[in-house]
Amino acid sequence: MPTNGAIVQIRNLSKIYAQGEIQVTALDNVSLDIGACEFLTLMGPSGSGKSTLLHIIAGIDRPTSGECRVQNIDVTRLNESRLADWRNQNVGFVFQTFNLIPVLTAFENVELPLLLTQLSRKERRQQVETALDLVGLADRARHLPRQLSGGQEQRVAIARALVTDPTLVVADEPTGNLDSHSAQEVLGVLKSLSSDAGKTVIMVTHDPKAAAFGTRTIHLEKGELIKD
Amino acid sequence: MSIGSFILKNALRNRRRALLSILSVSVSLFLLVSLLVTLRELTLPPEDMGAALRVAVRSKLSIANLLPARQLNRIQSIPGVSAVTPFTWFGGKYKNEENMTFAQFAMDAKKLRAVFGEAKMSEPEYKAFESTRDACIIGRVTADKYQFKRGDRLSLESSIYPVTLDFTIAGIYEGTVDDRNMLFHQEYLDEASGNPGWVGMWWLRVASPDDMPRVITAINTAFANTSAEVRAESERAFQLGFLSMLGNVRVLIGSISAVVVFTLVLVSASTMSMAIRERFRELAILKALGFRRRELFVFILAESVGLCLAGLVVGAGGAWLLFTHGYGAGLALLSGAGVALGVALWNLFQKRFSQAAMNLPVSGLLASLGIWACRHPNISKMTNGFFITFEVTPKILGLAALVATGLGIVASIAPAIAAARMSVVSGLKTLD
Ligand SMILES: Nc1ncnc2c1ncn2[C@@H]1O[C@H](COP(=O)(O)OP(=O)(O)OP(=O)(O)O)[C@@H](O)[C@H]1O
Ligand SMILES: [Mg+2]
Repeated sequence: MPTNGAIVQIRNLSKIYAQGEIQVTALDNVSLDIGACEFLTLMGPSGSGKSTLLHIIAGIDRPTSGECRVQNIDVTRLNESRLADWRNQNVGFVFQTFNLIPVLTAFENVELPLLLTQLSRKERRQQVETALDLVGLADRARHLPRQLSGGQEQRVAIARALVTDPTLVVADEPTGNLDSHSAQEVLGVLKSLSSDAGKTVIMVTHDPKAAAFGTRTIHLEKGELIKD
Repeated sequence: MSIGSFILKNALRNRRRALLSILSVSVSLFLLVSLLVTLRELTLPPEDMGAALRVAVRSKLSIANLLPARQLNRIQSIPGVSAVTPFTWFGGKYKNEENMTFAQFAMDAKKLRAVFGEAKMSEPEYKAFESTRDACIIGRVTADKYQFKRGDRLSLESSIYPVTLDFTIAGIYEGTVDDRNMLFHQEYLDEASGNPGWVGMWWLRVASPDDMPRVITAINTAFANTSAEVRAESERAFQLGFLSMLGNVRVLIGSISAVVVFTLVLVSASTMSMAIRERFRELAILKALGFRRRELFVFILAESVGLCLAGLVVGAGGAWLLFTHGYGAGLALLSGAGVALGVALWNLFQKRFSQAAMNLPVSGLLASLGIWACRHPNISKMTNGFFITFEVTPKILGLAALVATGLGIVASIAPAIAAARMSVVSGLKTLD
């Protein structure tokens, strides 16, 4: 396990949901290091805390205790607005249900995170075109999400995730809604992100075949990390 | 894509709802503007100099009580009074009309120019009016309505005096606030009804505005403790008093306006809440991508205010067009009807029957409104002469704009707070 040069350092991370008397422990004292250029896959039964862990790493959820450093910044301690900026610059999201904005074209969906940057219109266009090219959808730029297949939609979502050139790309069951052919394409793109583009990719999946695309797989059960 | 076009695409994502909410805002603002203009017209103070110098003298008991004709000498002798004329309501019905559509007053023809100088006629018309016993003059609005000309004769049966009088029209005047009345000789009425020695009221003119308060006091005291006590007041006070007889119009119109605005707030707020609720998941995505509360608030606010301002342009702009350029408004409505008809036909062609069924009545409604507006190109025609001017002033437009903007802001508050409170994770879990 790489300790030096780790991009993500997770220490004693716990997440407890208190619902009246009942407490649900979603994450139980998880510690984990993730290196640069790794394609880490997270597996485990339903309710084991995979999504929760991914959300905390990506800075859209907060733990009950513990710390999560990404490039030496403890994201659990950033305030809302700093965290939003940090996400914009450092994290790309891919979700199970694509989550594109239906009224925007593929191009505009990919451009969305760039609206928060200082880039000029021309620079934005170049970056969007590069990103769409990378996922092989340059010719679909003017299409609306409903005019695309599921696999194409997910590739647009990946283009949106990488257009800001983030350090981390997180994907929560990105192939869960896809047929096996489309899934292969999407997984191929994610793999090349870590191997060619040098991104750290963290992917939650239920599918061992999908997990096989990763460089390392870790298992969660009842919120605890199972060493393999 | 710019932030602006992103907001626009969001606002128009559900075309029908956007259209309906713009329409509901515009109809309400149209109503509001119409109410405010009505209120302004009804309480408009007379602007001309003549009015500033005019005093009305009526019975202290009520406007309907007559005054003794002998008061004339006493009033004339008060310093500062430059001219006095009786002014007596005749209450005549023209031909077989059910209602009286224009008022007739008996007065002293020789004092017309001195007291009501703004009623303009040609010199021969003045002469003819003064010198002919049964002469009358008629305001331009009424003359146009009945196509009266100089020299025409008309006969009116009084509902107050037991007489029917025949008149010769000596002139058509215009230039007063309300060119509708018919004026004739008090002497003619007196003779015909057997010189009863009563008049309806007095109108008089003071030499200068500074004399006004003193003259009013002098007249009021002159007849105090007589059998016919009077109330003298400036023309403006007289008209406002007249209005309060109709009930407290200001309060009535004010409360209707308040209800309109209140309903509008409820409608817009719920529409906006719905529009944002169903987009919670997308807002969560935007948050994940790095958009902050502040930016989401701007998106929601801009969308809400934008829809309300579109409603403002259609509603208040439509009111302005209709009331001041009725013909243009008619043409605009007709072209709108044409567009709706086109859309309906297109939908029919595409076999979208339910949509076509919605477009057709809209087209019909717009067309009939358009034809009506073209037929009644000014407010006087629309209201059958009740309102002469119906000016949508910049102040009223400004108020409507203020209401629309406020509306947009208020409607966006609840959804903006809900969007700000939503965590990304919970937002992602909401179903589309
Ligand atoms: N808002 C919440 N309130 C209470 N408990 C929650 C909440 N969100 C998640 N949990 C609990 O936390 C645990 C972990 O949830 P999580 O979504 O991380 O599971 P997961 O591994 O992603 O499961 P799946 O494979 O089904 O997506 C579950 O037991 C879940 O019930
Ligand atoms: Mg999950």
